[in-house]
Amino acid sequence: MARIQLRNLSKRWGSFVGLKPMNLDINDGEFLVLLGPSGCGKTTTMRMIAGLEDASEGDIMIGERRVNDLEPKDRDIAMVFQSYGLYPTMTVYENIRFPLKVRGIPQAEHHDRVMRAAAAVELNEFLERKPAALSGGQRQRVALARAIVRKPKVFLMDEPLSNLDAKLRVSTRAQIKNLHHELQTTTIYVTHDQIEAMTLADRVVVMSRGEVQQIGTPLQIYDRPANTFVAGFIGSPAMNLIAGEIRGGVFEAANVRIPGFAGVSDGKVTLGFRAEDAGLAPAGEIAAPVYSMELLGDSSMATVQAGGALVAIRAAKNFSAQIGDPIAAHVPAGICHLFDPTTGQRIDRRTVPAGKETA
Amino acid sequence: MTTRIADRRPATLQILLSGFLILWLIVAAFPFLWTLWGSFKVEGDFFSKADWMNAITGPLTQAQTGSSMTGDGYYGAWVQEEFWRAALNSLIVVVAVVCISLTFGTLGGYALSRSPYRYAFWLLLVALVFRAMPPITLVSGYLLPFFEWNLWGHLPTAIIVLVAINQPFTLWMLTSFFRNIPKELDESAMVDGCSRFQAFRHVIIPVMWPGVITTGLFSFLLAYNDFAVTAMLLSKENQTMIPKIASFLGTTQTAGNVMFAVSSVVSVTAPLFVLVMFFQRQIVSGLTAGAVKG
Ligand SMILES: Nc1ncnc2c1ncn2[C@@H]1O[C@H](COP(=O)(O)OP(=O)(O)OP(=O)(O)O)[C@@H](O)[C@H]1O
Ligand SMILES: [Mg+2]
Repeated sequence: MARIQLRNLSKRWGSFVGLKPMNLDINDGEFLVLLGPSGCGKTTTMRMIAGLEDASEGDIMIGERRVNDLEPKDRDIAMVFQSYGLYPTMTVYENIRFPLKVRGIPQAEHHDRVMRAAAAVELNEFLERKPAALSGGQRQRVALARAIVRKPKVFLMDEPLSNLDAKLRVSTRAQIKNLHHELQTTTIYVTHDQIEAMTLADRVVVMSRGEVQQIGTPLQIYDRPANTFVAGFIGSPAMNLIAGEIRGGVFEAANVRIPGFAGVSDGKVTLGFRAEDAGLAPAGEIAAPVYSMELLGDSSMATVQAGGALVAIRAAKNFSAQIGDPIAAHVPAGICHLFDPTTGQRIDRRTVPAGKETA
Repeated sequence: MTTRIADRRPATLQILLSGFLILWLIVAAFPFLWTLWGSFKVEGDFFSKADWMNAITGPLTQAQTGSSMTGDGYYGAWVQEEFWRAALNSLIVVVAVVCISLTFGTLGGYALSRSPYRYAFWLLLVALVFRAMPPITLVSGYLLPFFEWNLWGHLPTAIIVLVAINQPFTLWMLTSFFRNIPKELDESAMVDGCSRFQAFRHVIIPVMWPGVITTGLFSFLLAYNDFAVTAMLLSKENQTMIPKIASFLGTTQTAGNVMFAVSSVVSVTAPLFVLVMFFQRQIVSGLTAGAVKG
């Protein structure tokens, strides 16, 4: 177990920047999730920590040791690859045992440890099979077992659930969470699925285009997105973002008029709020004809056009309206987030009116 | 119940297909079967001017040796003319060539397939150019220095030249086999505690086995069938089988020598059958390795 520090870690291929300088301090035993859209540099970051890719600049510390110049095998990590990387010529048993064998752990311990790791991921029935004779979910569990058979300082997992169906994903997710609770090993987990990030993480690092956008607990990221990218990426549906202008404490855009922004200087801003924080009302801050209606099961989502964007508002599941019907939504200033329209950065308001934000 | 796709074909098509296959088999196998049969006859029968049927019935063989089949050709070639010495030389050359080519080929092919650099591509391209050159052009270049340094006529010299001729091809073939093995495999081995070489040795080579066998077989065939290099570079005492056969043919004045050639041709071909039969599983999976994802 160990603390991991990344200091100004960056990666370049020729003139292409894969990862902009990144600073991160991961605590001992923490479960850290790297979250971001495809191609944002998550895998690159993880591969640099594993030693499979050289860092262009910066330092990687595992424990108190700088590991930049160490071979992967000397970094004392275990990794679960996106495509599993199981050894096709070995049985499941041999696959799980392989790390023990090459690291020269006494033969006598092997059997016990393999059986324990296999039991932890419920693989005991498949030990004699070759990976080719396993389903995706089973292969996934072999990869997990191979990682936990040793007690490494760090677990690295690269989208380990991406090839599983929705149901298996939920159960394997729970398995991973439970394993982490038991082993208390520092874990870095890569995903582009925000639900995975939210459910598993102690802290989430949101990345975009090789750049860290925000680091925080899942709740912080959900409640106080640092910029419009995070706001638009986290949540389902993502936060509504409306471009408009504040004048005299009142936000205005087409079909939108929200008072209550006293203390915010006048000018253009981007306003954001979550569909589930707003509600329909007989008369409200947003009034527009229905653009579309979607039934989600536990509720329904009404979409209207406001401020040049589509804005979703949550409604009761039995709410029904025809396209074109005028509706209105209650969007108090308290549930709103303000962002700088050019940089996209969050504008913090000192005077936070009573509302959800403080909850 | 499982019905195979083949069982669902209409009967006429089935017959047509089988007929074609059998025909093809006969056409392909005929030269060898003819030679095999003829090798047990005397020259007068196998190369009969009177009637080609004599090669089958063998009246002269009957007259000369007292039986319609004779092992004289084999006895003459193997014992009198010491074809066994040539066979031994061939064995040495072939084993050495295959081992050396595969050692360099697997190591080099692995390195090239994993190299992130451009020059890996150019190296392979240059290798292809060298492969495309007729071997004899290389030999003529070697001849003079080998004479000067007194290297001419020794088996190791032929081995080195054959390896040199063979290596580009081995490198190409093995590189493409290695490329088909996902990089994650080496990477997970290295994370699991292997050095680069251990990953190669414990994880990659077992997966590569069919590829190594297939490439090894091609190297074997090149060395085994080579005439240009071995005929030029080896002295009479050190000859391998193919030049030896050629020398049997080259002296038709002496009766019976052509039959030595025929019997040694059969002797040379027989091991090939055994070899292909023995390794057929690996060869098939090697040849189709790229087609199916592991
Ligand atoms: N060897 C390479 N040479 C050049 N560019 C590369 C190389 N490897 C990755 N990249 C680029 O670096 C960027 C980040 O890649 P990375 O694999 O880290 O993405 P990711 O966040 O893991 O995405 P995904 O969710 O799709 O796996 C991508 O734009 C990719 O094209
Ligand atoms: Mg990735």
